[in-house]
Amino acid sequence: MSKLSSSLGFVVPAISTCKFLAYLTGIPDILIHDQQLISPLTSYFRLQEGLYLFQNGIDPYDGGSFHHSPLLLALFDTMIPTSRLVAYALWCLCDAFAALALVKIWRSRQRVAQSSRDALIASAYLLNPYLLLPSLALSTSTVDNALTLLSLSYACQGNASASLLLLALLVHMSPSSILILAPIILLLLSDPLSHLASPKLFPTGLDRAVPLLFTFIIYMGVLTVASCIAAGNLLWISRSWGSNLMLPDLTPNPGMWWYFFTEMFDHFRPFFLMVFSVHLLIYIAPICIKFQYDPLYAGFLLLGVLGTFKAYPTLADPGLFLSMIALFPEVYPYFRHPIVTALLHIHSALLLPLFNRLWLTQGTGNANFFYASTLVFACSNGAALIDCIWAGLRIAVGEAKEGDHVVQE
Amino acid sequence: MTRVPTFLLQVIASFLAGSCLAQASSSSGEEFSEELQIRPLRDGRVASTFSFRTFLHGATPRSPESLGSDDNSQHYHVFPLALGQILREYAVTELHLSMNAGKWNYDEWGYPGELGVATGAELWAWMGEGGISTVDERWAGLRNALSGLFCASLASMDEQRTTSPLMAFVPEGDLPNWPGPHLLRHASLPSEHVCTENLTPFLKLLPCKSLSGIASLLNPHRLFDADWHGMSVHVLWHANKGVEVGLSFQLVSDPLRQSSSKRRDWSFQSLFDRSIDNRCPVASSSTINVKLPTEEAYSLEPSPSSSDDGIGRYNLNVEGHLPSDIAMRWPSEFQYPLGSASVPLVPLALQRTLTGASQANGHLALRIQNRLNEELRVVYLETMPWLVQFYAHTLSATVDGRKHAGLISNVSYIPPLHHSRPTTFQAILTLPPKSTVALSMDVSKAFLRYTDHQPDAQRGWDLPSAIFVPLRNGSDRLDGHSLGQRIYTPTMLIDLATPDFSMPYNVIIFTCTVMAFIFGSVFNLLTRKFVVVHLDDQHKE
Repeated sequence: MSKLSSSLGFVVPAISTCKFLAYLTGIPDILIHDQQLISPLTSYFRLQEGLYLFQNGIDPYDGGSFHHSPLLLALFDTMIPTSRLVAYALWCLCDAFAALALVKIWRSRQRVAQSSRDALIASAYLLNPYLLLPSLALSTSTVDNALTLLSLSYACQGNASASLLLLALLVHMSPSSILILAPIILLLLSDPLSHLASPKLFPTGLDRAVPLLFTFIIYMGVLTVASCIAAGNLLWISRSWGSNLMLPDLTPNPGMWWYFFTEMFDHFRPFFLMVFSVHLLIYIAPICIKFQYDPLYAGFLLLGVLGTFKAYPTLADPGLFLSMIALFPEVYPYFRHPIVTALLHIHSALLLPLFNRLWLTQGTGNANFFYASTLVFACSNGAALIDCIWAGLRIAVGEAKEGDHVVQE
Repeated sequence: MTRVPTFLLQVIASFLAGSCLAQASSSSGEEFSEELQIRPLRDGRVASTFSFRTFLHGATPRSPESLGSDDNSQHYHVFPLALGQILREYAVTELHLSMNAGKWNYDEWGYPGELGVATGAELWAWMGEGGISTVDERWAGLRNALSGLFCASLASMDEQRTTSPLMAFVPEGDLPNWPGPHLLRHASLPSEHVCTENLTPFLKLLPCKSLSGIASLLNPHRLFDADWHGMSVHVLWHANKGVEVGLSFQLVSDPLRQSSSKRRDWSFQSLFDRSIDNRCPVASSSTINVKLPTEEAYSLEPSPSSSDDGIGRYNLNVEGHLPSDIAMRWPSEFQYPLGSASVPLVPLALQRTLTGASQANGHLALRIQNRLNEELRVVYLETMPWLVQFYAHTLSATVDGRKHAGLISNVSYIPPLHHSRPTTFQAILTLPPKSTVALSMDVSKAFLRYTDHQPDAQRGWDLPSAIFVPLRNGSDRLDGHSLGQRIYTPTMLIDLATPDFSMPYNVIIFTCTVMAFIFGSVFNLLTRKFVVVHLDDQHKE
């Protein structure tokens, strides 16, 4: 047993140290503007610019390029020095905490103190290239992911206030993460154990959710007031939260929004902005109802929806979903087309940086090249999501006998 | 029936014309003067500056408070009515408009006769605040009116290009002491090209059009063939004199280009293909000044009526011989001045470039060389459309390659807003004597909606000139006395990433298909029940 825990105790610091050394080689300077790894909403470079303006008495929200939360601004302005070394250490810590939170979720799902898979799960997070590279590019989506996992891990342990506070922080920084509010509340009301193989109705009445929801709203209110105090006015709401809805910056990213709204007729822009935003929300109820017996799995699926469809995704968003697959080994035998999905992911992971460079730097390709690769990427994320939903439902039917086939009605 | 009225009209017209002339020449309150300055340049070219000034003595700009009520009726004799109406309609106190084509070469040509030589159009105005409409509403009206008056695309100098750079621009005349403060609005449009359709309305503002006087030299075929040409309009108010309207046209022609003898001889005939055949009768003064070369032998025909300070003057209003054509001849062939022997004509040498191969990010680099033997403080103004986003935290300055603190002071930075506001970056730079200061800053380039792109999207976007204004005597105060002569950098071209313009429908269809595919699959899985079916061998076949 001591050997197992020591393997986790070795893996996380070792990988974090290697990552810190990688920071020092100058890799961040190459990646810091990479459009796959950072979006306008998560760019460390823009955060630095906002801080510089803030410290020089210019309201960063008065300009059109700063979309970070005022909480980050206040944090870096007062507590954390803006040197790069501190940022490297902070990003390493965030990843380490996120990996440990993932391990904790795994342990509480298996109801064990420690297991032989701990180190594997931690490395599935720390070594996932979709998560490692944005972290090396100092994308604040690393911080968002850490908050997501910490919030989920506290929810698994039944610590409602810590979980909801972290979720409120997360929603503050990345409002589309409101999608996982429902599964986290369900998780707090039930347990994180795997019930995928034995579906049942939700164990308790939903009236107990009201105080939790109320707690969350209070936390959000407090953070909003704190943000208003930090920013000094209300402009930050439209610049930070509003940009998720209005898509003011059409800088390319691996998601589906940017080219759609680059090519959108001005006449239909508000309509489709509304459709795309509402489209994210319509997954909450069906997934939560269908997987009411396993809210952790529902949360995991909604993170997959976010990674595919959110307004300003980076590779870190689908990366979180892919790393979380490590938590559910029971569904592996039931994946529908795992090879196709994996190949699609490899295909798009190679195409995205290549076509981005061909279009914007080499000048030998055009926007359609990169757009096509984001479509492939959306298909691969969608395929992963569909695989996971299929497997999560299929496991309840159990092994089919010889000659039997499991189909949908 | 018709003969009598026609005759009557002729009588009235001649009477009116006579009284006009009489009034113009007397002190009726309006005064028109014209001047042509010709300057041989050291690279063999010839700079000509036409200036036409009209004074409206005793007049004051309209106060914005009076905008709601009827204005005084406007009766002018030589003052341009079309311009006067615009000035009063929008209560403009001071107005400057310049439209130029080409790059002014400060190193060889020195300071221009009129300072506004930025490539493209530049418009700035001082307007008092108050009354029923805001300054920005009147600024929009002014742009549109001038756009119509001069047949130029000035209307597109909208709020996406309008700034208020108070450090670099100060009122050149006086500002009336009204209750509301005066506000500055400035905009530049580097892609605007001045051409003959702008000159025709310009000539219409002159009392003698291009029929007589100095203005008869304004031959569009030659003006727009010149290496550099530009026109400008200035409206000022002097508290003790009145409203002054200055119209000017500048050009830099190259006699060597047309000469077969490698001589830089010029004459009105060779420069303008015209001569002055008549005087402008309403002009109170009409002079031609020729800058006389000091180093080389030359001949000037006819000889000037007076000459002082190295300037030969011709007065066209003196009765007698009208010098219809002036010609300057050099006995020897022109030798292009090479090397560093030449004395610098302006204190600064400027170079501004946008580097970086990517269409997403770039680097703004400036090299400012102080040629004087003394420290120089300059106001640096950069206005950028929102297409270019500065990263002010990356701003760094070096002197002759070494990092140097304290070069940049009094920074005022207004960050841009997408689709609504440009960047305004103003600072005071302290340039050590005989040194080169290099400034650099990271920038990012915007990704535009496909409808935001210009019709020729692949050409790129013109970015306005940066402006440098030396401060006199190391003064800290920013007013008309401490600011020296403005220097403009050349404009830049930025290459923005373009989407595929042919496929908005395809993109909408593709993206919606992928979304519908994922959405449909997810809902298919979530809503349909899983069942186990037994297939025997017969069914399989």
